[in-house]
Amino acid sequence: MIRCRDCGASQYEGTLYCSECGRNLLQDAKQATDVLPFSEFAHKPPPPPVSELELDAEQKAKQLTFVIPNSRHRHTLTLNKQIQIGRAFDDTTTNLDLTDDNGMELGVSRLHAIIQWSNKGIVITDLGSTNGTFLNNHHLPANKPYPIQSGDELRFGELLVHVFY
Amino acid sequence: MSGETYYSILGLSKTASLDEIQDAFAVLAGRFPENASIDSNPEYGKLLQAYEVLSDKDRRAIYDSLLVETTPPSLEATVQISRTKMAISDSAQLFYLLIEITPPTHVVRARRPLNLCLALDRSTSMQGTRLDYLKTAVSLIIDKLAPDDIISIVSYSDRAEIVVEPTHINNKNQIIAHVRNIQASGGTEIYQGLYAGVTQMRQISLDQYNNQLILLTDGHTYGDTEQCIELAQRASETKIGFSAFGIGAQWNDSFLDQLVAPSGGRSAYIEDPTQIVKYLEDRIQGLGTIHARNLHLKKAFPGNTTPQYGFKLLPFSQPIDLSGSELNLGNLEGKGSLAILLELLLQPQEHETRITIPIEITAEIPEQNNHIQKITKQIQILVTARAPETAPPEDIVKAVRMLNMYRMNEKVWQDIEAGHIGVAATRLRHLTTRLLEAGEIQLAQQANAETERLNNAGELSEEGRKRLKFGTRAMIGQTLKLEE
Repeated sequence: MIRCRDCGASQYEGTLYCSECGRNLLQDAKQATDVLPFSEFAHKPPPPPVSELELDAEQKAKQLTFVIPNSRHRHTLTLNKQIQIGRAFDDTTTNLDLTDDNGMELGVSRLHAIIQWSNKGIVITDLGSTNGTFLNNHHLPANKPYPIQSGDELRFGELLVHVFY
Repeated sequence: MSGETYYSILGLSKTASLDEIQDAFAVLAGRFPENASIDSNPEYGKLLQAYEVLSDKDRRAIYDSLLVETTPPSLEATVQISRTKMAISDSAQLFYLLIEITPPTHVVRARRPLNLCLALDRSTSMQGTRLDYLKTAVSLIIDKLAPDDIISIVSYSDRAEIVVEPTHINNKNQIIAHVRNIQASGGTEIYQGLYAGVTQMRQISLDQYNNQLILLTDGHTYGDTEQCIELAQRASETKIGFSAFGIGAQWNDSFLDQLVAPSGGRSAYIEDPTQIVKYLEDRIQGLGTIHARNLHLKKAFPGNTTPQYGFKLLPFSQPIDLSGSELNLGNLEGKGSLAILLELLLQPQEHETRITIPIEITAEIPEQNNHIQKITKQIQILVTARAPETAPPEDIVKAVRMLNMYRMNEKVWQDIEAGHIGVAATRLRHLTTRLLEAGEIQLAQQANAETERLNNAGELSEEGRKRLKFGTRAMIGQTLKLEE
């Protein structure tokens, strides 16, 4: 399955245009994510699910700073509705683009994870990425939002990112 | 007789040996009187001529080379596939087939006479402008018919009336006078009109004609949709094709699609009554030049592939019903070719394998006594560990892009019917963007207006829905046509 970079819908391999939003999926085909052979990071089992968590559509602006030790990059983005994390976004002002942080080699998917508001504060959701999303070394199950806090360690595949706000 | 060759005179095939030719000649020549000569008996002359040519190796070779050009030209099919190599995968994958059937280029087709029936809606809602335009349109298109064509006209509301019995058009004024007398009243029961129409058409020897019933309606039919579709099915088996045009916004578009599906006919939305005449003319023109009839594609796909969606792109855009054992593709008509796009799903393949997809199309060729021509092709797909990323053929990409917009619009409607208004509105907004990207400004504006309406009122307007449906549908064929 492939995932549409615009709307996140799952599509069969070989689909030319996203059935949900009409995006040309052909242009993305050449940037498929490789499954990494092994992980040098040990990881803990998934954290327990958070009950009564509801995603919040309400827009609250908040500055989030992402620090990437590996590349010594620092990205500051404003979380309004959502911040998408992955590679090669058309709009890098609202999404965290990890292409220049060696994202391809470190197993970051094109659309890897998403940060949103919820009734329990800011949450992160893995979007069924090839190499997984880790929160403080806990491997997050796909498509389930988990609350994060300032200072948390996030890992997308093998790429380590610290988030501060 | 055009099909006669030296081989057929001797009752032999083209591969006959010299011995067989000599034997055949001896037997056939023995049937003529002993004193038969070329002058007194032309049949004997033919036989002698055939034998002389075919028994001489060099003359036979020359004759054979000429024969190739004089055999009836046949239809040709080309098949394109989105990719011929696919990766081994534990999940299902999609691929697309674009099948194009072209008529032989150098043949001038004799026109086959039409047995045309118009079934006209005269329910109360047609009263006024609509009926006036309809009457005018009918009188105008009568001029487009050839002297050997036959026309019948029925009008219907909750019951049917025969306006004009099957007739040649030599008394045009009388036909027009009858049409002028149609009065609007009553509800809409389409079955009444269809049944009366088909009954009229059956008075004519159907084998000799190109039989088409064109339904015009502006309303929902009540309680008889099943009957209508059953009738369309039976009629298509006896070579009566259906086309259906909806006027205004208050009619059931998926019903009309279903109605024309068995015969591969055309359904369309006539938004503006002044356009009725154009749609009728187009249809009649298409029917005038039929290269092949009743094209069918056998659904012989291998078990690990499933056709998901089928759409006819040319000569007009129309969804294809995938439910039967054969896909009905309708007629190969008009100037261009017939093209269809199929979306297929390949089940997860865990090992390297080769998949063969047989393409078998049958068609009736009217000029050859409705001889059934069969076209067979094979498409090979290799499932392999290393499948290179290759760009699909341009034509497929273009057609899928347009088709996808049509399907998005269909999904919007499904979302609404399922009560998912929010999802529908999001989808419609996406569609607006895609329409803009494609340069379809008017449709994009329509989609945008409908998004607003959906957000405010939780529904689409009937007009808007049909404009989007038939607008995006029309785009699909347009993209391919522009290329030609």
